[in-house]
Amino acid sequence: MTTPPLRTFRTTPRDRTDAEFPASVLGTAFTAEGFLDTDGDLHIHGRVIGRVCADRLVLGSGGYLEGDVIARDVHIGGRLTGRIFALNVTLESSADVTGRIFHHEVTVEKGARVDARMPWRPPSYFETLVQLPEPRQ
Amino acid sequence: MSMFTRNEKASDTNTDETVRPPRETPAAPPAPAAARPAQPVAQPLSRPSQAPGVSVISKSLKITGQLESTEDIRIDGEVEGDVRGVSVTVGNGAKVKGTVYGNAVELAGTIEGKIEAEKVVLTSTAHMSGDVLHRDIRIESGAFIDGHCRPGYGKSEAKPVYSAPKPVATSMGLAAKPSDAALKT
Repeated sequence: MTTPPLRTFRTTPRDRTDAEFPASVLGTAFTAEGFLDTDGDLHIHGRVIGRVCADRLVLGSGGYLEGDVIARDVHIGGRLTGRIFALNVTLESSADVTGRIFHHEVTVEKGARVDARMPWRPPSYFETLVQLPEPRQ
Repeated sequence: MSMFTRNEKASDTNTDETVRPPRETPAAPPAPAAARPAQPVAQPLSRPSQAPGVSVISKSLKITGQLESTEDIRIDGEVEGDVRGVSVTVGNGAKVKGTVYGNAVELAGTIEGKIEAEKVVLTSTAHMSGDVLHRDIRIESGAFIDGHCRPGYGKSEAKPVYSAPKPVATSMGLAAKPSDAALKT
């Protein structure tokens, strides 16, 4: 299986209509392995292993995600192992993140468990992101 | 000694500000508010009470890989890979390349691959390229089928609809680039 190209997101919030870009919801009983690409919102409450590109990603408090995330907004309430590439990152109090968080603005709520480096990047970095950097060990 | 006074300095005041890379805007609250969507950050988006069992893959979502659920799946987007669910609905305009396993499969979109399910419904907009293994089938007028329909579901060759989730490898390498072997199992 070939790796699909990286879907770049818009750094400015678009005029969203829910009818045009309905949110995708992956329930608690849901497991996916592979590449997930969307222009809209993605809510993950189950288990996903692979790369996720979305406009906005919400990882529910029971959710588990292993892999790289590329999105404009990322809200983490669950467990994430991997890298985040996002303009706005919010780690809620139930979050448990291991890896790297490439961000422009980050919010970490009290109680969140973070074992990650958080490199700051200008918005242009995310606009021109066409290939993810090699993961460092 | 002068080299090692960093900690003392940092504890004094906001010397961090001077060390940080320059930002176009100060870190004052008004600036982020403009850059963010209207929805407030404090709102808990990931409440467990919101967590549904049913999964919806909306039309803008494309998944390359395997899906599995012990509950219902509705697909309006695009899936390249196998889908395993209890009740799988492939909506009008949706596309699946791969095998769809389920107790009940309703197709209004396109499947290129196979269906293995106890109950199969092909609605008038269905486009099915491949075999259908079923026990109970309903085909509405207008549905397109190119393949065999066999009522052999549940017999030797059919795989179980759902088996308990396999333990999945948890290496970072796999996450970055799922290997073919991992996706095919």
